[in-house]
Amino acid sequence: MKTNLKDLVSILIGVIGFIIPFFLNIPGLSEAGHVALSIFIIAAIFWMLEPVPIYATSIMVILLQVFFLSKQGVLFPEVTAEYSPDSYTEFMGTLANPIIILFLGGFVLADAAVKYDLDKNFTRILLKPFGSNPKFIILGLMVITALLSAFMSNTATTAMMMTVILPIIAKTEASDPLRIGIALSIPFAANIGGIATPIGTPPNAVVIGALSNQGIDIAFTEWMILAGPLVVVVLFFTWLVILRMFKPETDSIPMDFEGKFQKNASAILVYVIFGATVLLWVTESLHGIGSSIIALIPVTVLALTGILDKNGIRQLPWEVLWLVAGGISLGISMESTGLAEWIITNIEWSIFSPVFMIIIFSLVAIVMSNFLSNTVSATLLIPLALSLTTSGAAGEGFSLVLISLVIGVSASLAMMLPISTPPNAIAISTGTFKTKHMTRSGFVVGIFGLLMVALYALFYWPIILN
Amino acid sequence: MDHKIYILIVEDELEVMDALVKDLENFEKIFPVETANDTTEAMNVIDYILDHGHKIGLILCDHVLPGKNGVNLLIELQKDEATARSKKILVTGQAGHEDTILAINKADLDHYVAKPWTEQELQEVVRDQLTDYVIENEKNLLAYMQILDAEKLSEEMRKHKMTDH
Repeated sequence: MKTNLKDLVSILIGVIGFIIPFFLNIPGLSEAGHVALSIFIIAAIFWMLEPVPIYATSIMVILLQVFFLSKQGVLFPEVTAEYSPDSYTEFMGTLANPIIILFLGGFVLADAAVKYDLDKNFTRILLKPFGSNPKFIILGLMVITALLSAFMSNTATTAMMMTVILPIIAKTEASDPLRIGIALSIPFAANIGGIATPIGTPPNAVVIGALSNQGIDIAFTEWMILAGPLVVVVLFFTWLVILRMFKPETDSIPMDFEGKFQKNASAILVYVIFGATVLLWVTESLHGIGSSIIALIPVTVLALTGILDKNGIRQLPWEVLWLVAGGISLGISMESTGLAEWIITNIEWSIFSPVFMIIIFSLVAIVMSNFLSNTVSATLLIPLALSLTTSGAAGEGFSLVLISLVIGVSASLAMMLPISTPPNAIAISTGTFKTKHMTRSGFVVGIFGLLMVALYALFYWPIILN
Repeated sequence: MDHKIYILIVEDELEVMDALVKDLENFEKIFPVETANDTTEAMNVIDYILDHGHKIGLILCDHVLPGKNGVNLLIELQKDEATARSKKILVTGQAGHEDTILAINKADLDHYVAKPWTEQELQEVVRDQLTDYVIENEKNLLAYMQILDAEKLSEEMRKHKMTDH
């Protein structure tokens, strides 16, 4: 275990933060609420300062809750008027939450796709109709990146697209701003594309998981209808921003990609399963079979046929599932101990208009996730938003789903810095552009995104939700 | 990065050494270059680098050296766990058939550069070998994208299930 001074200090701050509420008596907050506050503080500090990996913090959160807040824990074995403790299975069960299973299905599918080069060939085939004009090539790259990242991880999509764009970049003049435009278009499109489906990126899972704890289930189709149009608009705008800021000098790029789909039996099976699963997901509202149930189909078939083998299972990104599960689990106790509500009622929300609150939540989410993990940002904000609505503090015009969506979507709109998202980090590592290019264009996209979130939350989402 | 990955050049002729160092200038920003004139000095340099917690990514070695020859050095390094993974290139005009076979079989030689080489040829070989080295040995590949084969590194990241968080 390697630790440096900064990490040790961070851990110390976290532990002190954890201990303090035990010695306080905060009026209006239940005893259990104090404990939940302790857990919230240590989690928030660990997630923000990252002395340990963020998934490790999530695992710890689950343990702390089982240990201190569950019915089987040491502090609250009895149901009292103030607090009726959840069973420990509630906290542990977040690991098998339907949204986690949905993600598992997504991981397995994406893995199989990568193994059989489906993503690469798909890209090459789809890129052809966009011709050789650099403007349209960038558009093509962005559309394909967004499409893929809606179903695969944004990061893996970006890495794959780098293998596509690096040869293109190598063919252009070193002074041509086109290079910057192309290199920026990929991470931006990947970040934005992740918003489009429930499995696009983990913050979406946090939102859906939190809502399902409230008894609100969002169908795959419904999410796509809610988020899809926003993705299209923001993506198109980003394309315009990139063209304007980094105007291509050359007017033609020779493209000579050949997509060759593998034709062996396993590959064909993967194509069929991929296509069928996606089709079943996007038509959830027609047939009514839950997307997480459908997600088990590819997992099962790929395991039965040996395409998903023992090593494949071992190499799945389990840490992401723990990360999301810990986040959902934290939300449970913040809610049930009354902590979230206590935080909320300390602010006189009724003086703010819904528009103002939507903008504030969106802005806070965007700013936070520029510096923190997007999932962590959503995790920390969602419980607050939930109690804001369930406590009635916010008044009319402020629905649970609406504000959760605002947070979930906004968390993915942060792309100003290399550290904002892993796709940003990959893109800048190529050395094709400088941080200032990313910051400037990412800022414009972020502001536009904020505006769009507000407009959609005010005018479009209410129509769909009602 | 808490450790550096070194390039080691073992060569006794001063002019050749200068030419090698000059051709590898581009890599120095990330991969510091160390030099040695014979195998004894090479071993000392290697020990020094390893003792300081760094690694040897690549060894460019002449064959005909005072004292022990280059192939023997490479074989010895291949036996040592700390340098077994280092990429090994023989840069020579004079290694005979048998020595070369020995180098391939016993030292797991990664490449053979015949003298005289061209700058471009050498840089390509070094870029390829270092790319393989970091893919096989390093966790964070992003740091090498600018200097090494970015396409190959990206492909590796694509296959390694990189995730969002």
